[in-house]
Amino acid sequence: MRQERVYVTAGSAFALSDSRGDMVVDPHAPVGLWSFDTRFLSHWVLRVDGERLNALSRDDMTYFETRFFLVPGAASHYVDADVSLIRHRSIDDAFHERITVLNHSAEPADFTVRLEIGSDFADTAEIRQPRERPVEVVADPARNQLRLRYARGRFARETTVTSTAPVDVDEGGMTFRIRVEPEGEWITDLHAVAIIRGAGGRDLRADLAQHRHHVRRGMRDELRQWLDRAPTLAAERGALEAAYARCLVDLASLRYLPLVNFGAVPVGGLPWAMTLYGRDAIITCLQTLAFTPELTPATLRMLAALQGGRLDDEHDEEPGKIVGELRYGEAAAFGEKPTALYYGAADTTPLFVVLLDEYERWSGDADLVRELRHPARMALDWIDEYGDLTGDGYLRYLTRNTRDGTVNQGWKNSPDAVAYADGRLAGFPRGTCELQGYAYDAKRRGARLAREFWGDPAYADRLEREAEELKRRFNRDFWLPEREYYALALEPDGTPVDALTSNIGHLLWSGIVDDDRAEAVAAHLVGPQLFSGWGVRTFAAGQRRYNPVGSHLGAVWPSDNALIVAGLRHYGRDVEAARIAAGMFEMAYLLGGSIPEMIAGYGRDLTKYPVQLPAAGRPQAWSSGGLLMLLGALLGLRPSGDNLLVNPALPPHFGRVELLDVPGRWGQADAYGRDRAASGLARRPRVR
Amino acid sequence: MGTTAADYLRELGSGRRPDLPETTTGTVRLDVREDGRTEHWRLDIADQHVEVTRSGEDADLVVHGDRDAFDRVAAGEMHVSAALLRGDLTASGDICLFMMLRRLFPGPANARHPREAARAVAERGGRP
Repeated sequence: MRQERVYVTAGSAFALSDSRGDMVVDPHAPVGLWSFDTRFLSHWVLRVDGERLNALSRDDMTYFETRFFLVPGAASHYVDADVSLIRHRSIDDAFHERITVLNHSAEPADFTVRLEIGSDFADTAEIRQPRERPVEVVADPARNQLRLRYARGRFARETTVTSTAPVDVDEGGMTFRIRVEPEGEWITDLHAVAIIRGAGGRDLRADLAQHRHHVRRGMRDELRQWLDRAPTLAAERGALEAAYARCLVDLASLRYLPLVNFGAVPVGGLPWAMTLYGRDAIITCLQTLAFTPELTPATLRMLAALQGGRLDDEHDEEPGKIVGELRYGEAAAFGEKPTALYYGAADTTPLFVVLLDEYERWSGDADLVRELRHPARMALDWIDEYGDLTGDGYLRYLTRNTRDGTVNQGWKNSPDAVAYADGRLAGFPRGTCELQGYAYDAKRRGARLAREFWGDPAYADRLEREAEELKRRFNRDFWLPEREYYALALEPDGTPVDALTSNIGHLLWSGIVDDDRAEAVAAHLVGPQLFSGWGVRTFAAGQRRYNPVGSHLGAVWPSDNALIVAGLRHYGRDVEAARIAAGMFEMAYLLGGSIPEMIAGYGRDLTKYPVQLPAAGRPQAWSSGGLLMLLGALLGLRPSGDNLLVNPALPPHFGRVELLDVPGRWGQADAYGRDRAASGLARRPRVR
Repeated sequence: MGTTAADYLRELGSGRRPDLPETTTGTVRLDVREDGRTEHWRLDIADQHVEVTRSGEDADLVVHGDRDAFDRVAAGEMHVSAALLRGDLTASGDICLFMMLRRLFPGPANARHPREAARAVAERGGRP
């Protein structure tokens, strides 16, 4: 049985522990206190009189604050302890833990409370095998403080842990020898600060007061305001309301303020992707324009600031390219991984243009479109100048970093994700089908921006011509007439890679599918090979490499399904859209809590329950955003001029839905929907 | 021997830089340390032009570092973002300008156009 993991998070900092609050190095999970891709605490274990503790229960108050209720000893028998502990943990830029020891007996009691403390200063890139680092440890009993420091040249990372209660400090941790009066309590506050550069002498008391104020007031207020700004959902099914609220909170938790600060931008998600990923951030923004549009301008500006400017093989950088991944840890700093700014993604650049246009349609923010003209133009130029690798007009990818570049640079980025139905892998450079859809969409949208905002009608005409030409060729070269779907990819010589995959759903979302083929594509998406009952599999069953637990070879991703459902509605395939969305919502209701990154591709009739995968992060920004996009797509929310269009097509038994105060250029507008099954026979008579 | 930062900066000021957004405006001061003394370079960025002067005047962004670090950046041997993470360069002020500064320095000398890399792979039958 896999151990339960508990997290608190704030920005890109997070602490991952077991269910009693202890943190012990685990090669399979980034356990510990992390900030800016560095582990500042790798060992944090609490003992009372030498014994580990056992969790009675837990109160996850917010994503940045949790309380553990604990007793000493094993859980194997009836617990009737005279002593219990509360571990109240919170995080902002610093990590804080208040330990309360309660004596339930009628006698005064003496305890030895020991906190083992250690750090390996590991980088996110080396969870499986953290390397040995010379860590300097200073026990400073005079200040009730333990300092751990690691330096490599000018690169220095330091953790200080300070206690408010008097304590014996040694190099392995802190020991409190305490006496607790009958029915009494003892408290200490432990404050762990992650220091990236020598921040100089900071006053601990000020830090503590600031932290408490920040967590109790600032972060809670901010979360409340975030929720208040989002539309209000009133749904007949309580499970839908709960899932909606959870997604909004998860999105709040997965924002961070980068050093280049334009406002908070989405990180990928816990626990592996607590940093900016260009793709995840853009998709999350596209998914949430009707709900939390404030993520988008910050993301666009941030990505524009990080836009590629030169050729660099190691970082797969080219002028105009939009970044794939940004890390701050030691591996990035010393070039051991190319992640200081890694551009190994072929989809981020066209999607950047798609997002800019879509944002303007929702927000009416013409100033931002003018402000970002240059980066958008560079992105559009990149598609043809650097993205068309064989000169045949298709967007392809090939990493120039043969050491540790990303082999597959679309969203399905695992190494064997681009294969034929018979299992052969495609040759390089690879041009997957959804990239062509994105490029087509980017050109069409770029044309609108050029015509309406940049005063460049000639360029707009050119982009439109190129888009139409691309669509024509694409429908000729990628279409497999005897199978009636689009090939996953083209070989460099133009041979289609014939696997049936969820990528064909993205084509609907981008609008590159010829109208008379949408029906066939939709039929495949809900057919037995692709549709699991919960959602569309990444890779269709029955093909050689299909594997229900393979991330991109069979698993079902909510983010993927959200784009597919939006695409189906775009082509008027409402029945298929509703069917897939219904499966996704049922998955969310059954699992409860955060929407996982993916679930296994097993058929729903086989497992009856969505099977979770250990590799799947949770929460993930584009999964939480995905559920919101599914809701928006079912309601048919679409900006049209200065109005919000609503065109609901809900699955049977979805119940009545009211989404109030959808923000946009119209100010705020409401959307209502009810499923057809509910209109005749009200299953639950709840009349307004 | 690669280009030094001083050589590079002297050449930088000539001509339009179409790769810079026309909206980017600001001043950058580079404080180049060597043997206990500091050399100041000031970059005025506006209208896709960069004017380079020797001046210790304050600027929107100030970047400090040893001459060796600047030389390596100017020679395309070190990524400025990595240098910042590493602490070999420190920056104070407008970090956005730092991201623009990244574009003013050259990439690695051996960098290839992606098409060139694609041709090389095609000659090996599509295997990288």
